[in-house]
Amino acid sequence: MSLERKDDHDHNGWMESRELTLLETIYLTTLMWLDKRLRVVDYLELLEDLYYKVNMQMPKSHTEQYNLDNKFWYWYPLYALGSFSTISYIVAAISGALLGFYYAPAAAASDGTMTVAYESVMIIMGQLNLGYFLRSVHRWSAQVMVAAVFLHMLRVYFTGAYKEPREINWIIGIILISLTLVFGYTGYLLPWSQLSFWAGQIGVEMSLSIPLIGEWVAQLMFGGFTLSQSTLQRMYILHVFFLPFITTAIIAVHIGIVWMQGIAEPH
Amino acid sequence: MSDNDTNDDVRTDGSGTGIVAPDDETPDWSERKERTQGLSRLTYEYFERSRREDQDLRQQSDYVERDVLAFPAWPHEMMRNLALTSFFVGMILFLSAALPPEMPAPANANQTPAIILPDWYLYWSFGLLKLQNLNPSLSLLGGQKLMADRTYGVLANVVVVGFVAIVPFLNKGSARRPVEQPFWAAVGMAGVVFSLTIAALSVQNLIPMDSNLLLDLTFLFPIVTGAITYAALRTMREGYMFNLNRRYYRLRPPK
Repeated sequence: MSLERKDDHDHNGWMESRELTLLETIYLTTLMWLDKRLRVVDYLELLEDLYYKVNMQMPKSHTEQYNLDNKFWYWYPLYALGSFSTISYIVAAISGALLGFYYAPAAAASDGTMTVAYESVMIIMGQLNLGYFLRSVHRWSAQVMVAAVFLHMLRVYFTGAYKEPREINWIIGIILISLTLVFGYTGYLLPWSQLSFWAGQIGVEMSLSIPLIGEWVAQLMFGGFTLSQSTLQRMYILHVFFLPFITTAIIAVHIGIVWMQGIAEPH
Repeated sequence: MSDNDTNDDVRTDGSGTGIVAPDDETPDWSERKERTQGLSRLTYEYFERSRREDQDLRQQSDYVERDVLAFPAWPHEMMRNLALTSFFVGMILFLSAALPPEMPAPANANQTPAIILPDWYLYWSFGLLKLQNLNPSLSLLGGQKLMADRTYGVLANVVVVGFVAIVPFLNKGSARRPVEQPFWAAVGMAGVVFSLTIAALSVQNLIPMDSNLLLDLTFLFPIVTGAITYAALRTMREGYMFNLNRRYYRLRPPK
């Protein structure tokens, strides 16, 4: 009889009793080390459970059920528009993050002189290696995203995919379209060129003409009733901080709901 | 010392686990759930119901058991997605190399440009701001307008977006295809055309046309398109749907 208490779960003994390769030994040792501290097994079980819940049983797809493959193949390309908007959003995010290394939202003036913001865009376009291309990619991916999002909405409308279990996702989609447009608008203002300035002017006037809360909205979004440095700064922070977080989160919810509810197939 | 020592008494030296084995009196989890009261009881009952509903659905004829994944995610699905994504990203890169953006002059508040425009995707919204001719004036107020023109424009935006948002609550039922619901397809086509004509209205100083005529056409074109769509779909409907939907409606009758 040994003084040590017998361990029912002598994992090391169990490991030694088996002939394991080096790789298997390392793997098992790591797994046991982690499991002793974090009880990974419980979570693996959860994942396994989830996996089988998702994959064990699936309904026949609509086209499978009614033999519609030959009738409605022409709808299918339009079902890629949602992915296309997500992909161009990712492209815009990457190129935008790179542009952010060089852009400075500073010293907005409106007397026709070059401001720091305008200058930094000029430097990106004129002197930075591949800078012009980078700005071009950012702009085009934004344009493509807006176009894809609008076409995606039309596809959803004309195939009736917004109907009964999917109303919430339709409304979330409308919020996402609005966010995309605000994304585009705030980005449009950043170079602080003539176009940006007068688009900003329209924006201020639009917010001022909202009944009751107009002045408050103008203060909040544009930092005053006339365009100034604080306008540029607010647009910048909206564009690179608030909107990316909010939009990414809502896109995740949107796609998550599609995953849960399944894709509304063409009829 | 030997293992023959009786260990029935509670050990207080800290060496035991302190875990008591469940006896017959110990409720298991489902019993605990059944014994709950109030809201948690309701939740439990609802979940039981929905689980049963799931079970029934699975046993219906149109469900197939698949203990293996249908189409392998790796490599088939992933390769296809990768190919599509690379093609699409390549298209964006090609566009940006071929058509780089211009840089206009720096901001100048003293020099109004001839044409003030937002990016193309906001033309529809910008056009809705220019509907002051439709802002009703009340004779009761001596021809005064009820609200400022620009308030009216902002309100027009709210109305359009709000209408799009409530579409799922207006159009119910199991019809999906345009041929099944000519009216809503017509509304959609009218909306698409309206978004184009209202965009044209927003750039009215670029269009060589009388502005009143343009305003009339802005609303006339969508209505005409909607009417044509409706007529065309109603005509197509009978023959088209008979062949297509015999089996479909036998299994899933329209509400």
